[in-house]
Amino acid sequence: MSMTEPTRQLIRPCTLVYAVLVMLTVATWAIGRLGLSGLGVAMLVLAFALFKGHLIGDWFMGLRGVRGIWRWVIAIWLMFCGGLISFAFILSYRS
Amino acid sequence: MQYQSQSVAKPYFIAAIGLFVGQILFGLIMGLQYVIGDFMFPEIPFNVARMVHTNLLIVWLLFGFMGATYYLVPEEAERELFSPLLAHLMFWIFLIAGALTVLGYLLVPYATLAELTHNELLPTMGREFLEQPTITKLGIVVVALAFLFNIGMTILKGRKTAISLVLLIGLLGLAVFFLFAFYNPDNLAKDKYYWWFVVHLWVEGVWELILGSILAFVLIKTTGVDREVIEKWLYVIIAMALITGLVGTGHHFYWIGTPEYWQWWGSIFSALEPIPFFMMTVFAFNMVNRRRRNHPNKAAVLWAMGTAVMAFLGAGVWGFMHTLAPVNYYTHGTQITAAHGHMAFYGAYVMIVLTMISYAMPMLRGREAAPSVRSQVLEMWSFWLMTVSMVFITLFLTGAGILQVYLQRFSDNPLPFMVAQDKVELFYWMREVAGVVFLIGLIVYIASFFVGSRDPEPVAGAVEPAAAA
Amino acid sequence: MSNAKLAIFLPFVESARVVSMNEKETIVVDTASAGVAAPDALVRYPPGDLAIWIFILAELLVFGVFFSSYAFNRMNHVELFNQYQATLDRDAALINTLALLTSSYFVIRGVVAAREGNNRLCAHWIWGAVAMGGVFLVVKSAEYSHHIGAGISLSTNEFYMFYLSLTFFHFMHVILGMVILAAVAVKAGQGGYSREDHVGVETGASYWHMVDLVWLILFPLVYVMR
Repeated sequence: MSMTEPTRQLIRPCTLVYAVLVMLTVATWAIGRLGLSGLGVAMLVLAFALFKGHLIGDWFMGLRGVRGIWRWVIAIWLMFCGGLISFAFILSYRS
Repeated sequence: MQYQSQSVAKPYFIAAIGLFVGQILFGLIMGLQYVIGDFMFPEIPFNVARMVHTNLLIVWLLFGFMGATYYLVPEEAERELFSPLLAHLMFWIFLIAGALTVLGYLLVPYATLAELTHNELLPTMGREFLEQPTITKLGIVVVALAFLFNIGMTILKGRKTAISLVLLIGLLGLAVFFLFAFYNPDNLAKDKYYWWFVVHLWVEGVWELILGSILAFVLIKTTGVDREVIEKWLYVIIAMALITGLVGTGHHFYWIGTPEYWQWWGSIFSALEPIPFFMMTVFAFNMVNRRRRNHPNKAAVLWAMGTAVMAFLGAGVWGFMHTLAPVNYYTHGTQITAAHGHMAFYGAYVMIVLTMISYAMPMLRGREAAPSVRSQVLEMWSFWLMTVSMVFITLFLTGAGILQVYLQRFSDNPLPFMVAQDKVELFYWMREVAGVVFLIGLIVYIASFFVGSRDPEPVAGAVEPAAAA
Repeated sequence: MSNAKLAIFLPFVESARVVSMNEKETIVVDTASAGVAAPDALVRYPPGDLAIWIFILAELLVFGVFFSSYAFNRMNHVELFNQYQATLDRDAALINTLALLTSSYFVIRGVVAAREGNNRLCAHWIWGAVAMGGVFLVVKSAEYSHHIGAGISLSTNEFYMFYLSLTFFHFMHVILGMVILAAVAVKAGQGGYSREDHVGVETGASYWHMVDLVWLILFPLVYVMR
């Protein structure tokens, strides 16, 4: 969807994405507030974070409109970080 | 040569090469002393040969940087040098001071040299690479200030480019960080901490700015690629160099009595120090691929690309190998260190100076743009001889180092230092042979200045029209 | 077009990205970096100068290594990390995350305004983003002064060492991002961008989004995941 034709829709796409980001952030904070812990919770929080990152990359950074390898650079970084962090957390819950 | 005053670079380059020869001769002496312990003892003990070898290296590289600067700044600033007379004067002061210092190392015991030069008034002697008497160090400061003044005034009144500004910042940094050589705390941990402010922040900091800007200059001249493109790459490269190199200083603070967090900071940031070198390699090859003309000085282009590759290998890859704290715990102060040190210094700084000399010297000697075909062929031979032999030196020292680390530190029954040294002797012999080949390369290099110097200019072929990027 | 003197210091902001090798007088510019709206066609390069994207990738690499180091180090000190994580101010972190998200949103509105050739509106949105960045700095500084007042330092324990290092490193990037955005806002305020050429805005925007992105990982990792 184009971000340069605001008059065509009721709400800009990026505003919608912003709202989703805010909600996920509050959810994460709430989980923290409640002191929830455990591998499942941690992975859920991480998943939220990676999804938020993906939204930033796709919508805010404009990668949605890009073809080729550049489309995926943020996603690849998120996967690497997410993968390594999950790996470390899973191992720490094992021991 | 566009400006008359660029000619002041010539004596600097000649002195650089002369001192380079001295450096290698003393390197070979030490290489032999590794395996024949009392070779040239007591006339030139190992520690004296070492001081001469390392000090000559630094001094000739400084001559090279100054020559490079005196050549490229007038061209970049589009005006004559502020004071060629000052440049000539500083040349002789630096050369004579340097020569006297080296003679001091060779002719009198170090303690006597300290007495003769009144080290006790402001003690700065006795540290690795900073063995110079205090008066020599003060002389270096004076020469550096005059040099910076000269260049600064030239740039100030002329066209300012990214290349000249990055170079100037690098040179300013070089001068500022050298001042830490005067700070000599009694506390051993602090002593070592601040010593690295000179050494690391030079070679893994501001010297990279000097390297990047000289490389960018040579690439602009030899490839004809748009200045904007090259300068943009230069900014990205030096940004990465500073981001990784400044905090990366911490990789020298693992074991000297500093807080433990340095093991984390140093490891993380220094692990990324290869990035700017990788970028430089991609940059150099990319620019040459996208060139708009075939410059007749093919040797200079070879040196430029070779610098990027060897710097990446020696400084980047070999540096990475022993930079992480858990690895360094075992390899610290071993032949692994020596392997990295040699290839890094050669790949980054020796080669960039030789690149600049390769590019500029023909014009300084009155040629149009490039040495003759015969000269270039010899020069390219010298490139390969020196570079390949340096790779072998590094490989042999790496072998020695791995064995040394295993035998002396890692195995279940660690051997004492000298016993382990005995066991790696073969590597030292092989290293020495490689070193002799290096010297041969250097002799061929010098010959290239004399062979074919009266032959005609080489003809540059046309480059095919560039396809869309 | 570009102010020659400024061009030395701001090649990213000032220059269009050269795609094909022509004489300097006839630089061919990729439409993506020129910021011409191509709503339906996919472009080859991300918005803004390609050089900033190289820089962004390098920065992401550094932070990625930092995050991984945190996670792997935590493995060996789980109780310690859990215990001291609980001492962090999660509410401040929430405010900070919302501030950065909002600032990124403002930046997008600024980019859209630039694409429509509206320099004044662009400047207003970008300054708004800078202000949100300022909120982040203030809140973070308050957190730091609380910790320092409690006598906490890099040497206190492994958790605090990572927490302080990571957040401080990010803090420095927020400052840098704000400086870049301020430069963009100033130029917009002077009417420096147009429908055809607003690469600078997109370049600054991309960098700022990276700063935001990094925090979006940092916040849950350091403040919440246990």
